[in-house]
Amino acid sequence: MAKHLVCRVADVPENGLRECEAEGGLKLVVANAGGEFFGFQAVCPHQDVPLCEGLFDGSTLTCHMHLWQWDVRTGAPLGIAETPLQRYPIAREGDALYLGGESTALDVGELFNGLAAGTLQKLTGLAKRENHPAGAVLYRPGDPAEDFFVLDSGRVEFLIGRGDRTSPGGFMLKKGEVFGWAALLEGTPARIASARCLEASSLLRINGRAALRVLEGDPAAGFTVMRRLAALIARYLASSGAR
Amino acid sequence: MRIQVNARNRGFEFDALPGERVLYAGLRAGIDLPYECATGTCGTCKAKLLSGRVQDRWPDAPGRKLVKPQASEFLMCQCAAEEALTLEVSKFVYPVEPGACVPQTCSGTLRNVRALTHDVIGFALELDRPRDFDAGQFVLLATDGIAYRAYSMCNYQRGGRNLDFVVKRKADGAFSEWLFGANREGARLEAFGPLGKATFEPALGKNLLCIAGGSGLAGMMSILARATEARYFERYKVWVFFGIRTLRDAFFLRELSSYPKAEITVALSEEDVPEEAIQAWPSLKFEKGLVHEVAKRKMAGKYQNVRAYVAGPPPAVDAAIRVLLLDAKLTTDNIRYDKFS
Repeated sequence: MAKHLVCRVADVPENGLRECEAEGGLKLVVANAGGEFFGFQAVCPHQDVPLCEGLFDGSTLTCHMHLWQWDVRTGAPLGIAETPLQRYPIAREGDALYLGGESTALDVGELFNGLAAGTLQKLTGLAKRENHPAGAVLYRPGDPAEDFFVLDSGRVEFLIGRGDRTSPGGFMLKKGEVFGWAALLEGTPARIASARCLEASSLLRINGRAALRVLEGDPAAGFTVMRRLAALIARYLASSGAR
Repeated sequence: MRIQVNARNRGFEFDALPGERVLYAGLRAGIDLPYECATGTCGTCKAKLLSGRVQDRWPDAPGRKLVKPQASEFLMCQCAAEEALTLEVSKFVYPVEPGACVPQTCSGTLRNVRALTHDVIGFALELDRPRDFDAGQFVLLATDGIAYRAYSMCNYQRGGRNLDFVVKRKADGAFSEWLFGANREGARLEAFGPLGKATFEPALGKNLLCIAGGSGLAGMMSILARATEARYFERYKVWVFFGIRTLRDAFFLRELSSYPKAEITVALSEEDVPEEAIQAWPSLKFEKGLVHEVAKRKMAGKYQNVRAYVAGPPPAVDAAIRVLLLDAKLTTDNIRYDKFS
């Protein structure tokens, strides 16, 4: 891969933020956490506010507009933030910073970000990439829920009910969002909604039981994933008080 | 007209009246659609039109710069349905919580209009029917031909008929110019509300820190009234910092003096504290400086179990939030503010 220069080390003040356009055109915000550098998407995933205008204390990045916060080491959401930040690993060479590759949908995903590298690698090994055209149906109500999906790009919508008696059940549009999570529950239940690609979409398909076996081998990661899964389910089922 | 909203987590359906803004119709139906200012400036209520036609009632709204019309985006607070609509809202949306005050349109009569300072007017809106609201909420006010503006209530009363307000004169503010332009006692107003999430409930169980710039004090007065009713001061500390330029800009000092158990500091940014202020208001403290700087100085080391409320002109709010996050290290769920200026 060609090296893409992001900026000079001196461009990013200590415990400060700087918006940069890397060679190749990618815009990102670079955070300097006591001499370690972290790169993220340039705008807040909430309302497209530039993150370089935010607040940074050396460990927590805060968007000034609605106070969404992230852990600068992982991009994981903190406090009232609802989604992680897309992370761009930064490599330092002398006084220059370069893009060090792009994080995968699993790395940034709401369930799996920040897990131990070995566990993430095993999960990545289970993932099969699938590309679907707009209109493709991934599953229907009643289908066995064996696999779950991690969105890489595109857009997937859900419909609850059958035939012409359906109602919208939400949609997925962010890299790393997980759906079909019934596959991670006991007893392999059936799908309760249909999932259809609204646009050409790229997905990672992962077998639920195989993923659970990986997590059994790393109980700390398993606990983290199950806590996040519980929070995710609550977010779909809950009323506004549970936000 | 039937409106269907597809949100990130589920769908909703509700009806809108002819000409009614989509946002207000949804809120009225008990659906907690995203909004902050509800008056066209913040862009938070943007949605994407999937089918149907809308009429934009304020195409020059400042919040329009945050929407992409080529992607069929529009502001729900400024657009009315011309036919049945299907919209997409790219956020998690929930029904309003049980027991929350669902906003409605109502009307009332202006009473007790009085000058509080050279550029602040106080008045009451006597509602035709009583309405509930939470301490810290705001409503939208409009009169003949003048679009809605957001103002926080200064009082607190369950099932009350009177909403109290303060309005600061703004050169480009159509509503404030109307109010200052003539004696408006007895005029009729239309209101929509209550709105806003920077609310206080005594069940919170935390010490309260209120930082207000100018007419941002309104919501803090409502919180103080609510706290008094619940005897909150017996169990928790309450600090109020009220920022103004000079003593000439001060209002509600008598009312603030009626809360001796709260620690109330008036911050004067453009003059030294006059001796007469200290003499006249012995139960209030006066300091020189910008309100966020005064609060930072006087609150150092006192941030245990604190919930902060912030209101005022946007630069003052931003500066106060910076102090609360970076110096006070408050968590974001303990910093409450509504941006509608």
